[in-house]
Amino acid sequence: MKYVGKKIITMCLTLILVSFLVFLCFTVIPGDPALAKLGTEATPERVEALRKEMGLDRPFMVRYGDWLYSFVKGDMGESYSYGLPVKEMLADKVPITVTMSVMSILIIVAVSIPLGLYTAKHEGSVTDRVIYALNQVVMAVPAFFAGILITLLFGIVLKLFTPGGYISYNQSVAGFLGYMIFPSIAIALPKISMTVKLLRSGLIGEKKLDYTRTAYSRGNNTKGVLYKHVLKNAMLPIITFLGMTFTDIIAGSIIVEQVFGIPGMGRILLTSISNRDYPVVMAIIVCLAAAVIIINGLVDLVYQWIDPRIRLEGES
Amino acid sequence: MKKKHLKALLMIVLSLALTLTACSGKRQGESTESQITIGIPQDVEDSLDPHKAVAAGTEEVFFNMFEGLVKPDSDGNLNPAVASDYKVSEDEKIYTFTLREGVKFHDGSLVTVEDVKYSIERCADTSEGGPLVAAFSNIVSVNATDDKTIEIVLAEPDADFLASMDTAIIPASNTTPESVAIGTGPYKFVSHAPQESFVMEKFDEYWGEAAHIDKVTLKVCANTDSIVMNLNGGSIDMFSRLTATQVSQLNNNFEVLEGTMNLVQALYLNNGVEPFNNEKVRQALCYAIDKQYILDMTSDGHGTPVGTSMFPAFGKYYMPELADYYTKDVEKAKALLKEAGYPEGFSFTIKVPSNYTPHIETTQVIAEELKAINVDAKIELIEWETWLSDVYSGRKFEGTVIGLDASSLTASSMLLRFNSDSSKNFINYSNPEYDAAYARAVGTTNQEERTAAFKECQQILTETAANVYIQDMAEFVAINKKYAGYEFYPLYVQDYSKLYIVGEE
Repeated sequence: MKYVGKKIITMCLTLILVSFLVFLCFTVIPGDPALAKLGTEATPERVEALRKEMGLDRPFMVRYGDWLYSFVKGDMGESYSYGLPVKEMLADKVPITVTMSVMSILIIVAVSIPLGLYTAKHEGSVTDRVIYALNQVVMAVPAFFAGILITLLFGIVLKLFTPGGYISYNQSVAGFLGYMIFPSIAIALPKISMTVKLLRSGLIGEKKLDYTRTAYSRGNNTKGVLYKHVLKNAMLPIITFLGMTFTDIIAGSIIVEQVFGIPGMGRILLTSISNRDYPVVMAIIVCLAAAVIIINGLVDLVYQWIDPRIRLEGES
Repeated sequence: MKKKHLKALLMIVLSLALTLTACSGKRQGESTESQITIGIPQDVEDSLDPHKAVAAGTEEVFFNMFEGLVKPDSDGNLNPAVASDYKVSEDEKIYTFTLREGVKFHDGSLVTVEDVKYSIERCADTSEGGPLVAAFSNIVSVNATDDKTIEIVLAEPDADFLASMDTAIIPASNTTPESVAIGTGPYKFVSHAPQESFVMEKFDEYWGEAAHIDKVTLKVCANTDSIVMNLNGGSIDMFSRLTATQVSQLNNNFEVLEGTMNLVQALYLNNGVEPFNNEKVRQALCYAIDKQYILDMTSDGHGTPVGTSMFPAFGKYYMPELADYYTKDVEKAKALLKEAGYPEGFSFTIKVPSNYTPHIETTQVIAEELKAINVDAKIELIEWETWLSDVYSGRKFEGTVIGLDASSLTASSMLLRFNSDSSKNFINYSNPEYDAAYARAVGTTNQEERTAAFKECQQILTETAANVYIQDMAEFVAINKKYAGYEFYPLYVQDYSKLYIVGEE
C-alpha cells in the first residue's frame, strides 16, 4: 500500500510540474490571445478590454494559481476562441483519440504476439527471414507516412474508405469504427514490427537458457514450453514496451489525425496552440500527461503481477 | 498451429470487411432533404455572438444566418434587408429606417424596433473599451419614433455610415447570444462541433427569396493537403479559395470558377525604419519588381496586378492605371539606390506568416528579383499569431508580405490605415499631404469631391511608393457539377442561399 501511495504522490507532483511548465511556455512565446482573437481589426482599446475579460492583466503566478485551483475543483475554464466550456469541448474529442489508441494497441497485440511466437519457433526458416526483412522496412516507416500510403492505396486506389470522410460516432458507431480502422493500422504498423522483433529475440534468448532445457527434459512438448514458461519470461520487456507504445500512440495520434482528417484531440490541440487558446491547451496537455503517468503506473502493477520480485524490491 | 493462425487472420480480415461495408453505407436511408457539404479551411473559431465575432472565417459563415437593416449583394450594392426602406437627411447626420413588415427571427418571433435599437446600441456601447463596430462611435442616439421607424442620429456627417448598417439584428430577448444563435438570415444554426463541422438548416419563414438547399454542412479541412483528396473522394462538394496547383489536381466532377480574393497583396515596408524611411529606396524596390512575373511564377498568371491600396471590386474608387506606374527597370532602380546612399545595396528581412503559402511563394520570387539590384532579402517565416503581435501591433519589422482586405466596401476601410496617427498604420506611413487628402475625402458630403480626394490618396501612396504593391490574388472555387449557383461577392462572405442542385431548379 505504501508503494501505491508513494506512486500517487509522485504522479500528482509530476502533473503539477507539467502544467506549470506549459503555463510558463505560453507566457514566454510570442503572441497574445486577445490579439490573436481580434486579428487585424484590433484596436488598442478592444485588445485591452478583451485582455481584461480573459484575465490576462493579472500577474503570472496569480493566473497560474487560479487555473490550478479551478482545475483541481474540476473546472477547466472556458475556451477563448469558442466561448464554450473546455470540458464540454473535450468530452466530444476524448472518445475519438481513446478509440483510436485502443484499437491500435489491440491490433499491435493481436498481430505481433502470434507473429513473434511464430518467427521464434521457426527461427531461421524462409518465412522467418521474409518476416524479418519486412520488419526492417516497416519499422523505418513513420506512422504519418504509413498513413499517407494507406490513404493512397486503400482510399484512392482500392476505394475501401473515403479519405477525409470521417463519420462522427454520434452519426453511426459502426461507420465511426470502420473509419478508425485504417488510421489505427497506420499507427500500429511500425510498432508491430518493433514488438515482433523484441519478442522474437526475447523468446530465442530464453529458449537457450537452462530452465527451458529442464522443461523439455521433464517431457513437455514444444508448445507447452513455449507458452507456459518461455513466453511468460519473455513478456516482461514486451509489457514495458507496450506501455511505452501506448503513451507514444496517444501523443503520436495527433499527427495521424491530421493525415486522416480526424477531428480528435490532436487537431483541437494544434489549433488551440496557434490561437493561444490556453485554457484548452492546458486541459489537453494535462490530460495527456495524466494518461501517460497512469499507464506507466498500471504497467508497474502488471509487472508485479507477473514478477513478484519487483514488488519486494520496491518495498525494501 | 498454423491453421489457428490462419483462422485468426481470417477473423480479423472478416471483421474489417464487415465494418467497412457498414461504413460505405453511410448515406443510410434516402432522405428527401437536399443537402451540401462544403469544406472550410478554418473552423468558426468564435462564439455564436455575431457582434463579437471577428475572424474573417466566421463572418463569411454568419452572413447566411444574420442580417442587418441593409445587406450587400454580389455587385457590392447595399440593399434593404430587415429594413424595407431608408432615408438619409441632407446633412448626412440622420438615417431613418423603416422596418420591413413580417420579418421573423429564427425562433419565430417578429422583429421589432426594440430589437433593432438593442442591436445597434449593443454595438455602439463603449463601456467595454471602444464600440464593437468602429463606425458606431459616431452615433449620438438611436430612437424608435414609432413601431416601425428607427432613427439614428450621428455626431458628424458620414457618407459611408450605411455600409456599417449590415450589423446583425438580434432579438433583445436572447440573453445568451454567445451560445444561442438567433438571426433573420436564410439559414438557421443547427449545431457546431469544434474543428469538425458546422451545420445550418434552411429557415422556412425567411422574408426574402428562400434558400434552395435544405441543409448545409460545413466541414473543417484544416489540413490543406487533404482538400483535393476530400473533393475527389466525394466527402465535400465544394471548396472556395483553392490555389492554382490544387485546381490542377481535381478530377472532372468539378466546375472551377475563378474570382478574386478582394485584397491587396504587397510587400509592406516599415516606413519608419532605415532604409525604408527613404522614399527613393522604396521606389527602387518597386522598379526592381515585375508583378506579372510574380503572377506567372506563383499562380500560372492568374490574379490582377494592382498599384495601390485598392482592388478592382471597389469600382469607381479603383484606379487601374496605377498598376503600371512602376515598370521593371533594373538600371533605374540601381540609380535610385545610389542616390539614396546605398550604391552597394543592402540587406533586410521579410517576415511572412508561415500559414499562407501564396504569400510565401510571392516572397520567394520577390527575394529573387531583388538580387538583381544587390538587395539581399532574407525570408523569415513566423507564426500568424507572432505576426499579429510583432509585425502588426508591435511594428517590429522591415518588410512583410501579406494581403490586406476591406471590412466593408468603403474606400476608408482600405485607406484609413495610412493616416499618420491611425492605430492600424502598422507600416508607419507618415505624409501630411496624404492626411490632408484623406481628411478632405471624409469631410465632404459631395460624392464627386469625395471620390476625387480618395483617388488622390491612392495616387500619393503609389507615387511615394508606400509599399511594393503586387496583386489582388486569384481565387478558385471548386463546386461539384451536381450543384450550381455560386456567386462571388466583393466582400469576404459566402452566400450559400444561392446554391441549388442542378436539375431541381
